[in-house]
Order: sequence, then structure tokens, then C-alpha cells
Amino acid sequence: MTWRWGLIALVLVTSPLRLIGQSMTVRAVGEALHVRVPGLTFIEGPVSDRLQDGRAVRIDFELSVLDKSQGSTVARAQHSFNLSFDLWEQRFAVTRIGQAPRSLSHLTRRAAEDWCLDNVTVPLTAMGRFARDTAFWVRIEYRVQNRAAGSAEESTFTLQTLIDVLSRRREDQEQGKSMEAGPFRLN
Amino acid sequence: MARRLPHAIDMRPLSLLLLFLALCVPWQAAQAQDTEPPEGTIIESVDVRGLPRDNLSPGLRGELDGLTGERLNRPRLTELAARIEAERPDVVVAVRTAASPDGRARVTFLVVSISDDGSLVENINARYTVESVEIQGIPDSEISQALRDRLQALVGRRLDHDEAEELDDRLEAERPGFDVTRRISRGSERGRIRVVFEFSEKEGTRWIPFTASRSKFVYHSEQGWSGVLDIPMGNRNHRVTAGFAFDNNDDLIEEYSGFRFGFESRKLATDRLGARIEISDFNQTWKDPTLLALAVDPGIPEPYRERLTVDPSVTFALTPFVRVTGGASISELESLSNSPASQMASALLARVDYDQRWHQPRVTQRVEASYEFRSATEALESDLIYKRHLGKVRYRYTQRRSTVIADLALGGITGDAPLFERFSLGDSSTLRGWNKYDIAPAGGDRVFHASLEYRYRVLGLFLDSGSVWDSNSEMRIRLSSGFGVQSDNAFVTLAFPLNSDDLGVTFTMGVRF
Repeated sequence: MTWRWGLIALVLVTSPLRLIGQSMTVRAVGEALHVRVPGLTFIEGPVSDRLQDGRAVRIDFELSVLDKSQGSTVARAQHSFNLSFDLWEQRFAVTRIGQAPRSLSHLTRRAAEDWCLDNVTVPLTAMGRFARDTAFWVRIEYRVQNRAAGSAEESTFTLQTLIDVLSRRREDQEQGKSMEAGPFRLN
Repeated sequence: MARRLPHAIDMRPLSLLLLFLALCVPWQAAQAQDTEPPEGTIIESVDVRGLPRDNLSPGLRGELDGLTGERLNRPRLTELAARIEAERPDVVVAVRTAASPDGRARVTFLVVSISDDGSLVENINARYTVESVEIQGIPDSEISQALRDRLQALVGRRLDHDEAEELDDRLEAERPGFDVTRRISRGSERGRIRVVFEFSEKEGTRWIPFTASRSKFVYHSEQGWSGVLDIPMGNRNHRVTAGFAFDNNDDLIEEYSGFRFGFESRKLATDRLGARIEISDFNQTWKDPTLLALAVDPGIPEPYRERLTVDPSVTFALTPFVRVTGGASISELESLSNSPASQMASALLARVDYDQRWHQPRVTQRVEASYEFRSATEALESDLIYKRHLGKVRYRYTQRRSTVIADLALGGITGDAPLFERFSLGDSSTLRGWNKYDIAPAGGDRVFHASLEYRYRVLGLFLDSGSVWDSNSEMRIRLSSGFGVQSDNAFVTLAFPLNSDDLGVTFTMGVRF
């Protein structure tokens, strides 16, 4: 019977529902909503392997404020980060890419992950009444991009590119997570 | 070469100049030894460029000021550069030393903001100097001399991201069918890196895929647990698979445990020709309803206690989407009631597979179809003579987070087919909600099954219909429906038979990997 209980555990562990167990907290800092997800790690597995090989990884985050669980989106923000691993310093470097790029190096894995999350914010002004006294839910998603954005669009469409795109899509789907939590209220 | 900046970055001219000085000059200076003051030279001055000294801690400022008048010690300078970076993690620092006319040393710490430089933004290792460039995965001679020269021209310079990307593209263009992965590792001394361009064959260009893993651990509330574990080992062309089955009753009418050992190659002289051989030895356990049904119908071949099978086959890919397979399946079945007597079930097989995908923005479609024909004849010294046909089609449509899957299967048997060849429905993937041992406990020689499933993310809703029957009996279509968590790798579902007097609920869960 022991192995059967082991199988049950395996099913539960591999279930996508496991993210429910991760806690999320939100807070307003200045004029923006920040989230913290202590259990959310993304520099692991293939991502970590790529970084250790001296390759860069781009991660896209999307933070959504919802009016209820699985509800409609009240406000949304998207932020992208470029990660690399300094081979001589043995530390991570992160750049928030966009109109006002910000970079930080000499980070531990945990610090790099925290810095990314800390820079994924939604302006309170975009939340309307949910920034005051109305309960809301938060969904955070991230997706790991294998190659620089735009490379697929630049190439000619061939059967080979079709297969490549399909393959990449599968990998991307494997290297992304989404979690939702709530209700939260900003006092 | 014009630099393609991936994102809008304000490249200030002063920073660019400093960056050039910081990251290019030290290496070039190292090659021109006459401009470098030797270790132990008295330091005349210490300068910090690109960052006001006030932005550093008083302690570090004091140590930098204290260098003046001391003897030149490069490890000490490197340590101080690292401390500047530690205090200001948004910058990189390089040290430049130069000899003054009176023979003393001038030290400059050149500070550059990471976000001001596209290459550093892409990869922090762009600050380091390339020590060597190597090609792996194919012989160097398969790359043109001009391109090899360009690769070697990277040596001695910092790694420019855009230039490296362009080289990736040119390498892939020279060797279509290969992916190029650029790896960087530490060089022989601090501040140097090795660059490796590694070639690997694209999976999508393979004409013949390896046999899909059959690994699964499944629970069915009416049938209990089933387990199959495949352990593949090998390389891109050849693979050995050790497989184990644990009380598996999720595929066939029999429950079996044992092992299989397979070897397959998908490149025999050409990528379009492959071969496979599998040997398996399984011990059977029969459910009471099956034994009762067999007792009632002596026309069905007898059950067996052990099944030893050898399956050799050869596959040829006609196109990237169409493959034909020919082979044999030779089984020795040790009688359950009259051991050690046994029967042979030896069949020739022919199979056609079709698998094609289409991708449009946000939409993916895939069609998989197969038809298999088996014929057991006296020519193969088979005791059981039969013919078996099975055709399957699956269509899958994915748009963003929604997926629709439609399945259809049709099969028929003539002659005396062994029990492992007979069709069954009512398990974790067919006619969910029904129990195979209630529908046709000894299986059937005719089968029809159709299924429609809708998934939103991991939530699924499905409708199954099908019938398994014998040619001399009446066909009855059964329906079932259900819902639950459904993904390609894991599922937890509740299913209900629709046209049954018994409104039972079947719970299934498991993983397939």
C-alpha cells in the first residue's frame, strides 16, 4: 500500500493546483501596488542551467488586479527583465527593460527574484476604488522567453520555422507559472 | 556595424566613451606591454571616472585616496574595483593603469552604468574579454573559412551581444537543420571568458520520432491502480528503453505486470529509415468477470498466465508527416489452465502514421492519424489465426488558453485473436464513466469510440461515446460525460455514464509522462 500513497503524493505534487499553497501578500508603496510571493522561484531548473552556461534569459511578468476570483481585470501591468549570471562574480545581474531601464548586479538568486517581483507593480491610480476600500484579487504570471523577442517575426515563414515556433511554444508553456490570490484590501 | 538596441535605452555619449575605455583599453594595453607600469611602481595619482566619489562610502573613498604614494599592486586594485561594484551594484568597474613620463603609475577606475550599455543589459558577461572561441557539435571544416575567421576575430575583445547574435544566425544559415547554442564559461584567468558555439540537430527536422513514453500511474475507482514506467536512455539517434508494468489494467482487458526492453534507431543510413525491436514478458491476472465471460463463450481463445512477445519493425518516412511501418509481433502465450502448454500468436503488421501541425498567431492545430493492420497466419506458425484492423484520428485545436480535442477510433477483428488483441473501452482514457468489465469483460472484436473534449487552462469537460461488441452480437452505443482537471500530463476527473440505469460516478486520477 505504501507505493499507492506515494503515487497519490506524486499526483498532488505534479498538479498545477500546487501553486495554491504559495502565499502572496500585497502592499502599497508610494503610488504603486507591490506583491510578494515568498514561494515563487523562477531561477531554477532549465532557467538556472541556461544562466550558468553564461546565456541570458528574458522573463515577462504580468500583474493583474481582479475584481474577484477569476474575475475581470481592473488594472494590469507588464514588465520584462533580462537576467544573466556573472561567471566570475558568481552573482546574478538583472535589468528591467523598457523605457526607463534599471539594472542591478551582484545579486544572489533569491535577491534577483525578489528584485524582479519588487519591480512588478501596478499604479494605484489605475485601480480606482480598489485602491481605497474595496476588496480585490491579484494574479501574477510569468513566462520565460527562450530567445530575444522579435527573432521569430524577423525570419521567413517556412515549414522549419513553423516547427521551431511550435517547439518553442511548448518550452515556453513549460517554463511559466501563474498564481492568483485574494481577497486583499488596502486600508 | 550598427548596434540594434533591443529596447529604448538612452546611450549617453560620455558613458559610451568611458565604456570603450574601460572595457577595451585594458586588454589592448595588456598587449602593448611598454605602456603598462610594472608591479611595485609608485602610484602618482588615482582617478575615478563615471561616478562622483561622493557616491561611495567614506571608508572606500579613504582607501582609494590612500593608494597615492603606495606601490602598484594589481590584485589590490581589482579588489577595490569589486568593492565599488558591491557598493554600487548598478555599475561595472574596470581598472586602467598607465605609466607617467617620470616613471610613476597613474591609476584610473572607470565606472559604467550597466543600463547604459545594450550588451551589458543583455548579458553581464559582456564586460569580460573573450579568450577563445570554439565550435562544438560539428567539425570546424563544415563552417566556411570566412565565418571561422569572424569567430576568431572575437578573441581579445569584449563580447558584443549583437555581433554574437548575428554570428549565431550566420552559423545556422550555413548549417540548416541545426540549432546553435552559445555557451560562455570562465577563461583561464579572471576577467577572461571562453565562448562555445554548440551545434545540435533540430528536433523538428527528424523524420522519425522515438516511440512515445507509455509511463503513467493511474487510479480508476472501479479498476484500481495501474502503473507503467518507461526509462529511456540513449542519444539523438538510438535509444534503449527499459519498461516496467505494475498491475496495469488500463490498456487491455487483461491486467499485467512485468518488464519490457526495447531498442530503437531512427537513423539507419538515412534519417528516413528507422528500426525497432522490443521484447516483453508479462504475467497476467484476470478479473472474475472476464473469466466468467470466457467460460460462457468458448469461441474466445483461452486466457494465459504469461505472455512473452518479440516485436521487430522497420519504419520509413515518406514525408515529414507520413510514415509507414512494417514488422511482426510474435507472442508465446502460456496457458492459464494447462501450463506449461502454450499457444503462439504471431502476426505480420503494417502501419501508416500521419502527424501534422499548423501554427498561426495564437492558434495551433494538429492532426494525428494512424491505421494498423495485423495478420496472424500459419506461415508464421501461429496457432491463432486472425486479422485485426484499427484506425485512429485525433484533431487538436488550441487558441490561447482554450483547447478542443476530438478523437475517433474504429476497429475490427476476424478470426481467433488472443485476448491481448481484443478491443476494450471503459478506462481512464476511453468511455470514461463506464467500467470495461461491465461493458465487455472479455473485450470485443468490433470497436467504435468517439470523444470530444474542451479544456480551459487545466479545467476540462468531455463527452465520450462508443461501443465494443462481438460481430455476432448487437452493437450498443454508450455515452458518458465528465469534468475535472485535465492536462496532457495530469488529470483528476469525475465521469458519469449517460444512457445507463445505474447513475454511478467514476473517479479517475493520474499522471502520464
